[in-house]
Amino acid sequence: MTELLDVEALRAKFLNTVFDEKQFELTAEDMSNYAIACGELATRYTDPNDPDFQAPPTMPTCIQPKKRMPKGFPKIAGLGMDAGKAVQSYKPIRPGVKLTGKTHMHDIYTKTGRSGRMVFFVNRMDIFDSDGEQVAWADTSIVIRERPKE
Amino acid sequence: MTIATIKDVEFGEELPVFDPDTSLENVKKFATAAHWFGPRFTDHEAARKEGLPGALVPGIMSQGFLAAMIHRWAPQANVQNVDTVFRAPVVVDEKYHITGVVTDIDEASGRVEIDLTVTNDAGETRVFGTAQVQIPTG
Repeated sequence: MTELLDVEALRAKFLNTVFDEKQFELTAEDMSNYAIACGELATRYTDPNDPDFQAPPTMPTCIQPKKRMPKGFPKIAGLGMDAGKAVQSYKPIRPGVKLTGKTHMHDIYTKTGRSGRMVFFVNRMDIFDSDGEQVAWADTSIVIRERPKE
Repeated sequence: MTIATIKDVEFGEELPVFDPDTSLENVKKFATAAHWFGPRFTDHEAARKEGLPGALVPGIMSQGFLAAMIHRWAPQANVQNVDTVFRAPVVVDEKYHITGVVTDIDEASGRVEIDLTVTNDAGETRVFGTAQVQIPTG
């Protein structure tokens, strides 16, 4: 059985501090195959020869940081499950553009149900192009179900 | 009917239902493009050994289905935000249906909000979400 997490203490210590930074780029082949597998028909997502070819708008959510949690974050008992994803697109992402993803813990919150309390951890990756302009952000929500200590 | 401009969109309008390709072959192609190589997404037996009902469609793929559905309805739509909640597993090789309904329209800016739901053949919700979409104003 696990101790209930002190969510306010975790928020105070870990929110809004970048804990991971990575450089990456998306290839035209991956962008096109990603779009086609999702069922996209618009050629600006599926055809690298389209003059407006770009990554499908949800593709930033597939980029994973090198570190999953901030340094010093406590190990939490229980199986973490992927609770959701959110993505915001500001500019089209073109193939071969060097991108930088900076990840911070964006939110920690709880929901309580009949089976106990669930704690949600939201990590946000802000994605910038080589000019330093933000092109997107992508959130990953992980939920852990707590059980009170007996 | 596909949507060309914001004037074509009606409040409460239901988008055409989209039945995505959740076959193992297609999920493998997606996993390769996304660089998500876990066997839980590409191997039914390996997934069952992890206690799962079968290989899973990655949540990010379900999210991609939602955006694709919007573009099938409105080919020039710019999907700006998609917020998705994974309520229950989406299992590879099973049938799913995606529905969507327009819940808000701002004609001046062309901004539309759409609620989206992925259900299985039993009508159980597996994934739901909301999208903010920009439609051409004219």
